[in-house]
Order: sequence, then C-alpha cells, then structure tokens
Amino acid sequence: MKRLAWLVALLLLAGCAADPKPPPPIGGKDALPGPVPSGLSLRPTPSGAVAAPAVLLPLTDGSVLNVADLWAQRPVVLVFFSSWCTQCAARQDALSELARGYADRVLFVGVAAEDKDTDLQDYLRAHRVDYPVAVDRTRAVWESYAVREPPAIALVAPGGALLRGFTGGLDAPALDARLRELILA
Amino acid sequence: MPGREVLTLTLAAALVCGAAAGCSGEDTSKLTVRLLVRDINLRAEGVDCAGTGPYQHVHNRSAFTVLDGAGKRLASGELPPGRSVGTFEEDLGVEKVPTYCEFAVPVEVADRAAYRLVVEGKAPIDLKKDAGNLVAVVP
Repeated sequence: MKRLAWLVALLLLAGCAADPKPPPPIGGKDALPGPVPSGLSLRPTPSGAVAAPAVLLPLTDGSVLNVADLWAQRPVVLVFFSSWCTQCAARQDALSELARGYADRVLFVGVAAEDKDTDLQDYLRAHRVDYPVAVDRTRAVWESYAVREPPAIALVAPGGALLRGFTGGLDAPALDARLRELILA
Repeated sequence: MPGREVLTLTLAAALVCGAAAGCSGEDTSKLTVRLLVRDINLRAEGVDCAGTGPYQHVHNRSAFTVLDGAGKRLASGELPPGRSVGTFEEDLGVEKVPTYCEFAVPVEVADRAAYRLVVEGKAPIDLKKDAGNLVAVVP
C-alpha cells in the first residue's frame, strides 16, 4: 500500500513537470478588445486637430500592431509608463479599473520604455493591467509623442486625430472626465 | 583552536569583509550622493521624476556604483526616485514649471581624494565632496 502511494505521488510530480508551456506574457495580443459595441456614441472630431503619429507597437508577446489599425475602430488612450515610475504605480490600479469599465468602447494601450521585461510583467500582474502593452525599447514611440518621462497620456479620436496629450499623466477620475468631455457623447 | 576552525573563521571573515566597506581597515565616511540632472523639464515642483534627454537612464531603481579615482568600486546600489526642484525663484502662476531632477542616496565609502559615479554602466560622472555630500551636476 505504501509503495502504491509513492508511485501515485511520483506520477503526479511527473505530470506537473511535464507541463513546460509557460503562460503568455501579460499585455500581448490576447489583450486586444472584442468588436466595438453597436450604438457607441462619440463627439465629432474637432476641425484642425493634428494627426497622431501612426507608429508600430511591439507588444509584450512579440507581436506587432499598427496603432492606426486600433484607432480605425474606436478611440485610443495611449498610457506611457515604466514599472519603476512611482506616480504610474500609484495611479495604475484605478486606471486598470477604468480601462475595464470602458471595455470594448475605448481601447487603452500601455507603452513602456526604459524597463526590464521581468519588472514590467511583475508590474502588469500587480496592477491587473488587462489591456495591450507595447515595449518601446528604442523609445521611438515615446519620442513620436514627445514623451520625455513617465507618466504621460495621449487621447486619440477614432480616425487618428490627436485630441490631447498630458505630460505628467492623469489619475483615473481626471482621465474619465476628459474622455467624457472630448470623446464620448 | 584546531587548525581547521581557524581556517574556517579566517575564510568567513574574508568573505564578510569582501562585501562591506571598511573591512580593509580604511577609514570610511557616511555620505549622501546628490546628483542634479539639469534637464529643464516641465513638471510640478516636489514630485517624483526621472532624468530626461541624455540622462533618461537615471531613474528610480537604476543601478549605480561609486568608484574612486583609480576605478575601484567603493559602493553600489539602486537609485531612489528623483525629486523635481524648480529652476526659478519666481512664481510663474502655473502648475508645471521648468525643473531639474535631483537624486539623493546615502552611501558609506572609503575616504578617497576623488570619487566618480556610474549609473547603468554609462560614462562615469565626477563627484565633488562637499561637507557630507558627494555632489554631481549634469550637464
């Protein structure tokens, strides 16, 4: 009987060890939203708004997105951050919740720079970030949007008009107010 | 005391001394490394900040090392967040003003004639001893 118990334990251990597939990184293409809900009511884009830079976004899982494909369907909030940024961390839980609240209506996209992959994943896990996250190793995306240090936020209307940029970022209530003021009817 | 125990104690002492300042019998001082990045970035005063432009590698959790003039490592660690300090005395009446980003981190180092600071493996920055501080201003 004792021998049988040992055998079962060994088989269970072997079963655990035989699962080498790690979970996909947080913030990859699996985090992209579903279809835009019908009846999404948006404010008209102000005339004279400049075009947001249509950059490529290398996500945490190695996939690459064209940001213009994202804002073709819905408003986009670009959240510039780093895992070591204390102001980003202080606001992130509420921003993650705000992004969940807007679900498929407004797409939040994180853009991290000057970071380490493991620190970044720890940050995304700790702050329950459910939206896609780009890893801007060359800071090309940050520079395209004139971001010098985190945090910062850019609001882009459907179609690609750059509505506002916020150096120093915004907390969740302020961002929510701006979304309602500038984008959502 | 048996020879093996003497050897063990000697090795243990050597290991401990290898990891800490002052074990070599040198005099040490507790100082504060103060690095001022004069990047003139628009920020609120007194908030956490990071270096910008050519100093974007200077930020919270960046690895730093203090060297002596000959390049010997005296101390190392990670930087804390920077703190924004105003560049002007005048009240401009706006929330965000031109600021510098200042980092302050305590170290204990052997007494030397010259010190240098390396952040994230970049080019060394000369530190000037001033009272209880090791000060650098860049650029």
